[in-house]
Amino acid sequence: MILRSEHIVKSFGRKKVLTDISFQLEAGTVTGIVGENGSGKSTLMEIIVGVRRAQNGTVQINGKLGYCPQRALLFPHLTVQEHFNYFSVAYGISKEPSKLRSTELLDHFNFAKYNQERIINLSGGTQQKLNLSISLLHKPDLLILDEPYNGFDWDTYQRFWDYTNHLRKQGCAVLIVTHLLSEKNRFDRIYELENGILV
Amino acid sequence: MTSNKIITGLAMILRMLVRQKIVIILIAIIPAFFLSVVEFTTSNRMLPFQLASVGDDVFINITEKGISFIFFAVASSGFLVSFLALNLIQKNSVVNRRLIICGYHPIQLLISILLALLLMIILIAVYVGLLTNAFYTIDHLGSFIFGLVLIGFVYGSYGLAIGSLIKGELEGILMIVLLVNIDVGWLQNPLFYAEAQNQIIIKFLPAYFPSQTAIITAITDYSSASATVYGIMYGSIFFIFSMLIFFNKMRTK
Repeated sequence: MILRSEHIVKSFGRKKVLTDISFQLEAGTVTGIVGENGSGKSTLMEIIVGVRRAQNGTVQINGKLGYCPQRALLFPHLTVQEHFNYFSVAYGISKEPSKLRSTELLDHFNFAKYNQERIINLSGGTQQKLNLSISLLHKPDLLILDEPYNGFDWDTYQRFWDYTNHLRKQGCAVLIVTHLLSEKNRFDRIYELENGILV
Repeated sequence: MTSNKIITGLAMILRMLVRQKIVIILIAIIPAFFLSVVEFTTSNRMLPFQLASVGDDVFINITEKGISFIFFAVASSGFLVSFLALNLIQKNSVVNRRLIICGYHPIQLLISILLALLLMIILIAVYVGLLTNAFYTIDHLGSFIFGLVLIGFVYGSYGLAIGSLIKGELEGILMIVLLVNIDVGWLQNPLFYAEAQNQIIIKFLPAYFPSQTAIITAITDYSSASATVYGIMYGSIFFIFSMLIFFNKMRTK
């Protein structure tokens, strides 16, 4: 078991967003959480990764965590390669493995030609590729992706799923949060977040 | 590993600063513009003013132009450093938080930010000090530059506190412009201070001690030790306050 969350409760003022959320993820699975806009999906992800505090409940993670936030959180004045370098240092990856890994991700998601470009000069789709690649840089055991394919073209969407399947085979637990679910067969399990409860 | 994280953080922060053209333009242009305005607008008539931190009965005679150069040097340093500090702590706070989730400790990130700020404070103080000296001969240039570093420390800490406390960029800039304008830009003007009522209020404002240090060292042989110590203490309070808010905001749950 890679992730176990139990009895998570979260309110904003009087509005209860998450009522009593409990679920767990096994290694080598791809799980989806769907729900309408504003249903609390991103809040739940932020609680799991530790950005937000829940009023009640526990989250237990066994292994390295990779998190791709909904909005591309990047430094506008740094280049793509500088992002890989900066986040590699954060993850504790040394220079050579970091170089190999970033080259692999640049090639797989087809944005190597933008390697020396600053973020402010990139399209939203390319920024999202980097946003996703940063979360994959350290080969996580648990990957949490919040609306990961926003802005992706069809080719990148396919590459994304190729990579997700590759991660599944490697034993990574992948959790994808989305408001649109077009291909249910790609998931091992799908939860729906409705009125603060996972069903 | 910790030193590697701090050095990488510092290198990236400096790169980001240098690549923001507005930062370079502000640093280069504002002091030169202020001092040029003084050169072209103020007269050379002699003015006596009270040097408050040395003693209530100590009056100094200096030209209007001379004291204006020193006063504007202090004002421009304070404004630039507080703006930079706000920029450093506030602008990328969400991405910094992502770095923390990925393995940076808030202290490592903070040290990188503070080192970058310290370098910028020294750079601005040296630049403004030398520029002022080109317009008006400063008696003790090294000590005067230290006075500018002190105003940088006090207003840098103020900028950090505002940046940690206020989310909006515009609101943060407004808070900085307001205090810099009222404090450094108006009340600490020695010509205003000499005639001011309730001078005690002015003494409690952040720029009082650094301004006194800069003025004392620029045009007198009096000791600025007392004003310097109080200035450091004042800046330290802002600094501790800003650090507490930063840690509270950056910690993961």
